[in-house]
Amino acid sequence: MGKIVSLVHVQSEEEIKNSIIEALDLISFKVDKNINHVIIKPNLCYYWNASTGYTTDPLVITCIIDWVKDKCGNNTDIKIVETDATAMRTNLAFSILGYKKLATEKSVELLNLSDFPNIIKKVKVQNHEIEFKIPEPLQDVDLFINVPKLKLMRVTGITCGMKNLFGCISSPRKIVYHSYINEAIVGINKILNPDVTIVDGLVALGRHPINLGLLMASTDVFSIDWIASKIMGYNPSNLEFLKIAEREKLGSRKGITTVGDNLDEFKRLFPKQGIISTEHLWSLQLGLLKFYSKIVNDIIPPVVQE
Amino acid sequence: MKKINIGVIGLGNMGYLHLMSCLHMNDINVIAASDKSKNALKKAENLGVKNVYDDYQYLINKQSKELDAVVISLPNFLHFDSIQQSLEAGLDVFIEKPLSISVDESKKISRLVEKSGKKLMPGHCMRFLPAIEKMKKTADEGKLGNLEIITLESIQNGPLSHGLVPKPIPGWWFDPKRSGGGALIDLGYHLIDLFRFFAGDADVEFSCLDYKYNLPVEDGATVILNSKKSSTRGVINVGWFEKTIFPKFNFRTILHGDADFISTDQLLPRNLYIHAIEEGAKNFLRRVTGRKIHPLSYTYYYECHFKELRYFFNCINNDTNPSISAIDGLRTVEILEEAYKFSQRDSSTQTHLSLH
Repeated sequence: MGKIVSLVHVQSEEEIKNSIIEALDLISFKVDKNINHVIIKPNLCYYWNASTGYTTDPLVITCIIDWVKDKCGNNTDIKIVETDATAMRTNLAFSILGYKKLATEKSVELLNLSDFPNIIKKVKVQNHEIEFKIPEPLQDVDLFINVPKLKLMRVTGITCGMKNLFGCISSPRKIVYHSYINEAIVGINKILNPDVTIVDGLVALGRHPINLGLLMASTDVFSIDWIASKIMGYNPSNLEFLKIAEREKLGSRKGITTVGDNLDEFKRLFPKQGIISTEHLWSLQLGLLKFYSKIVNDIIPPVVQE
Repeated sequence: MKKINIGVIGLGNMGYLHLMSCLHMNDINVIAASDKSKNALKKAENLGVKNVYDDYQYLINKQSKELDAVVISLPNFLHFDSIQQSLEAGLDVFIEKPLSISVDESKKISRLVEKSGKKLMPGHCMRFLPAIEKMKKTADEGKLGNLEIITLESIQNGPLSHGLVPKPIPGWWFDPKRSGGGALIDLGYHLIDLFRFFAGDADVEFSCLDYKYNLPVEDGATVILNSKKSSTRGVINVGWFEKTIFPKFNFRTILHGDADFISTDQLLPRNLYIHAIEEGAKNFLRRVTGRKIHPLSYTYYYECHFKELRYFFNCINNDTNPSISAIDGLRTVEILEEAYKFSQRDSSTQTHLSLH
């Protein structure tokens, strides 16, 4: 069932839990009752809350916790994990984005993986050896649930399931990987294998945020990214990290199927990037501004230069 | 014209902007700059600043004899100490807002200014915004009649703001002992000052703080002010929650008078890009015809920072007291403290909203 991706349209907040159950049933995902240690990895890339489309909605995580407890018992050890990023501190993000409150209400643990010892792992991607610091808590996990967002990203085109695992790298300075980001995404996916990926596309982020009301699920993170990229207006065959993943036998386009709601409905609603992206517009503006500043000798405010 | 020798203390976003503004002025010599960041000091050196220090105390101790004034843009909790040292060293002071983080400190600063006979101007930059200048003139001419209500709003993202690539947020922002507060002291400070600018003085009638982000400091606030002098009421709304990036700028002030009203929405450029092109073209013409350009006018908002510094240096050159004084800073801090106290008086007025 690995190559099946379920798509479920969520009409209201009250439906989220049932929609998650539906999405998981559609891919026939079953969990063992003997599961003790569960890791849930949302996408908390900065301090913008779920309504902006940047970060995983704590409501989705709450419903996943309820589902895990229903299946595995109330005493299951559930941890929500994230790592510090170049500009984001996880503990602050947990507080700002409502995860601290969620953890208290649901009696689950919040882990900043950057605070833990690491295990160094090396993988080869396209003959390039990449070293990753993998936090220890990710080692002995019975159930690893990957909960990415559905959004566009400057460097890679899209960010969804595979890119969310990049957020498990312990070092806050993930920017060091950015010169070979596509290889690094594939590399980390060779090390970490989530049991299931549930995509929070309730508010998706394209050219602007949109209430897409989409939940996706699959046990194959490559397949889910393949379908996600189609929804976001990309030809997945053109996305570099998916091309590399396929070459490295991490996934294959053959046999990927969707179940549940119609992909085209979400594809139609998703606010796709225009011919000129926001980032290109910024670069163009800054280029013009620097030219103007040079010939006129005017000042550019630091906040604009950044 | 005598050249003024300046030390620039603090080279964060505002400090670096002030440094560039100073370097743009013909009558200003930037003698020294200080910042804890080596990168910031290197950037200052690249701009031609010869003496750089990683501690402002060294700058004041070692350069005070050569300096006339300092421009301070340090984290809030360092305002009092840096002002005190500068005044005691015989320097005039321009200080970024807030004057300080408490009424006690602000009172001490006011006494120090009086005792030293030096000039101190807090950075109440919004008074120099062209739209605000126009509104003040219109109100003073009596075209609006009596001002009944003033609405002031500034919804931005405060320390959460970033350009294309986010940067880490310095820890002091979320530590009330070092910041003095959150969105209210950060954004509300300007709006309280603007209310005083239009209506005279102010007392706090109501105040409530928001903690949507569960931070140790408030991320939003609503304050109602009342001026006994003019019987004007002011409604202030501030927040850090909006993810907007310049040139988007969610700020407005509306003066509601008995005869008419005026709003910044009528006076601000409708499209900042078109404004930037127009102003850029004017500056280009000024440059080729050998006239002085209007620095930062293309940004509309940032020009007020240049203008406030220019005004401060003019006051030094002309030996006049700035119209914005330590007393204005003190009064603004007093109103802020009143607003914080009011919000604690009745916990039911506090809106601790969770995200969902």
